[in-house]
Amino acid sequence: MSPVDLAAMLGWLVLLSLFALAGGLFLLGVDRKLAAHMQARIGPPLRQPFIDVAKLLQKENVVPVNAISAVFHLAPVIALSSSIVILFYLPVGSLLPVLGMYGDLVLVMYLLTVPALAMVAGGFASGSPYATVGAQREMVTMIAYEFPLAIVVIGIAWRLGAAGFSSPFALGTMAANPIWTIVGPLGIAGLLLLLLVLVVVTPAELSRIPFDTQEAETELAGGLLVEYSGRNLAMFYLAQGVKTLVLAAVIVAIFFPWNLSGFLAMPPWLALPADILFFLVKAILVLFFSVTLVRVGMARFRISQVVSIYWMYLTVIGLAGLLLLMADAALPALLGVGV
Amino acid sequence: MKFLPLFPELLRQILREPATNRFPAKYLPRTVTGFLKAVGEGKATIVPPVPTPPNFRGKITYKIDCCIGCGLCAKVCPAHAIELIPGTKQIRIWVGQCIFCSQCTGICPKGGLSMSDEFLLADENRYSENLIVE
Amino acid sequence: MSDESKKAPYIVPIGPNHPALKEPVMFTFEMEGEMVRDVDFAPGQAHRGIEWMGMRRNPVQIVHLTDRICGICGVSHTFAFARAVEQIAGIEVPERADYIRTIIAEFERIQSHLLWAGVAAHELGFDSLLHLTWRVREQSMDVIENLTGNRVNYGIVQVGGVRRDIVPEQHQVIEDCLTTYEGLLGKLLNLFLDDKTITMRCRDCGVLSKKEALELCTVGPTARASGVNVDLRQDYPYAAYGDLDVKAILPDQHLGETHGDVYDRIVVRLLEVGQSCGIIRQCLSEMPPGPVTAEEKLAKLLAVCKKATGEAIGRVEAPRGECFHYVRMDGKEAPHTWKVKASSYSNLMSWIPMLRGEQIADIPIIVASIDPCLSCTDRVAVIRRGEKSILTKEDLHRLSVGKTRRLQR
Repeated sequence: MSPVDLAAMLGWLVLLSLFALAGGLFLLGVDRKLAAHMQARIGPPLRQPFIDVAKLLQKENVVPVNAISAVFHLAPVIALSSSIVILFYLPVGSLLPVLGMYGDLVLVMYLLTVPALAMVAGGFASGSPYATVGAQREMVTMIAYEFPLAIVVIGIAWRLGAAGFSSPFALGTMAANPIWTIVGPLGIAGLLLLLLVLVVVTPAELSRIPFDTQEAETELAGGLLVEYSGRNLAMFYLAQGVKTLVLAAVIVAIFFPWNLSGFLAMPPWLALPADILFFLVKAILVLFFSVTLVRVGMARFRISQVVSIYWMYLTVIGLAGLLLLMADAALPALLGVGV
Repeated sequence: MKFLPLFPELLRQILREPATNRFPAKYLPRTVTGFLKAVGEGKATIVPPVPTPPNFRGKITYKIDCCIGCGLCAKVCPAHAIELIPGTKQIRIWVGQCIFCSQCTGICPKGGLSMSDEFLLADENRYSENLIVE
Repeated sequence: MSDESKKAPYIVPIGPNHPALKEPVMFTFEMEGEMVRDVDFAPGQAHRGIEWMGMRRNPVQIVHLTDRICGICGVSHTFAFARAVEQIAGIEVPERADYIRTIIAEFERIQSHLLWAGVAAHELGFDSLLHLTWRVREQSMDVIENLTGNRVNYGIVQVGGVRRDIVPEQHQVIEDCLTTYEGLLGKLLNLFLDDKTITMRCRDCGVLSKKEALELCTVGPTARASGVNVDLRQDYPYAAYGDLDVKAILPDQHLGETHGDVYDRIVVRLLEVGQSCGIIRQCLSEMPPGPVTAEEKLAKLLAVCKKATGEAIGRVEAPRGECFHYVRMDGKEAPHTWKVKASSYSNLMSWIPMLRGEQIADIPIIVASIDPCLSCTDRVAVIRRGEKSILTKEDLHRLSVGKTRRLQR
């Protein structure tokens, strides 16, 4: 790689990081506004998350006496940076993944656990009983949703591989070949089930009601984040925003990879902003149904209920989707034998 | 939506008008005092508060001319907000302490005390001029 | 199994300030994993010395203090105090005043139960339901404001009657409100009781058996949800309740069975909203004409109260249960003794059997399920030279005996 290429790539990465921060906060603002309107409130203005972060950055950064200081300070940095890094491997609008050649969906799956693990570390390092309980719950939740998430990823990639694509796990492949177009009716039913699984996993990844047992305001007073304040809390807040954007980008990349420039002819200088705007619209729609609507319309589950929901119901649904996809791929071959 | 009956209600509400009264403005102004000042100068408009009901008990009014200094009002005031000014036949009411029960207005033999509709009485200083009636 | 029992329990403190608690109380939980092994609690964080203030004021002033004992049961405490003083002074309350008191008390029950339902939803993380119920509650607050002049500290009950009459124009306002609530009740029952997530969280959670409820002398909806048939309005009717047909609401009337869990407490409170609407409607149609107070002139009333001697208790079924006031007057302006027992005082101890063996996640909803009102409850705080001391049962018994001797003298 020549120095010029490297510089261009670094430039893209910086731009993308800024987009991740701003876009994440914007999505949080939209989420709050929509939730407020559903609850017959006016809600805060869209720029409120930006105001919150600006305010938090000015506040004192308190470290509890019995906290492990190094881990306590490191956790928010890791959480924020790792969630930004995930976005580098994901397509945003018509912009292909910047680091696409270095990683695929499996890497994204692993990276998604890093912010959560950072929060667990930070929670255990806080030295507060609430944070400790929250950290334990976060680990349990993570173990619970990892399996259904893996089923979705494997199911989709397997179907792409069965359709004859060379690197089925690469997000570039998924973006170029919308999964809906290569499957038959059985496959579409299977995909709908997998989409449902991914939509239900999203609130747990983002620790939102009904799966927010690890933060549970009324039970644990914020759980993992109870001891965090000032700059550290601002970083966790930003990480939350970026993670929201990332989760939306994952769902969009796997299930709704279409771009506006693919349908309408437009000059190249317009295509990129138009596609990014279209991406944000898709992200807002996805988040509305998977996060906002769910979090205002349900009560919080107990941690034991969270585990049984993911391990029993969602795993069964995911496996059913997987079987349907397999049947879909196998059917033409079987029919071919018959003919 | 048999198991989650709130969902249809939430989706209906998203297009309806929020129930919140937008007093004094839709969003919190940068500074409330600055905003009120701008309203005073006619540069900004204030969303009015909810109208008061009939027989509302607001800030007390005192007709000093008909006061005979009997002290009955001070005797029934639960909050000790009424003080007889020594040496005169007059009273002083500390609105910051008043609990708006309107008991003094009932007992006043001359009808010199009454409750107004004014209720926006927040102040930084409990001894400010606005909060002392005499 | 043996490893499990060897594992040392860890302590989770909740309170005095915690988002799960709307009022200050200090809990100490001994946890085993997510399970509560044992629990202890210490109220007494919100003592305000209201009784002390009352003993330096005359009854006409105290009725406004009693309004402020509790922010939600604004009228119940005043009502109970006024009934006690009326008995001592031998004041006969006009019948119309009794009906107006009943109407206000029932409106208070409606708004209190709706407030509680919203808080319960919030404790479950169900904020939309909180906003919805509180929006609905607003209408009862508006009616109360229209009738009394205030939304919270009503200031309508006075010794000897009420301070404001219900004029014919206000009948329409009340009627509109009742119609709205009767229409909404089905919807509220549907939203709370048919919601799968609420059922998952509240069914068989925080169970208080009928035996425990009786042993711990619980009152109000907490007792009724465990199947104890107690309701002051039915057992010892006061005000206009004697003329009305009031039956205690028990959960098996709606569901056919009694679990004594949080879910049943939701059922009882929501059904009582409907019951209150019926009572108000009946009161409005049967309300006799006449004066609304036994003594119009406050100065005369003061003189009557000053002459009164004797002791009496006033009992009222507040939204949370029985509210109890003891007053003793000895011919001075201020009462000699005034003792308040708020309904939450009887219910607090039921926390311990409810919480034992439950999960951390259920603590907020169980604590909220008895609708605790701690600032009403806190009556004693012993602080000497900056140190707080705890009075044991023996200490309290000795002090009580001493006080009774002093009173008998």
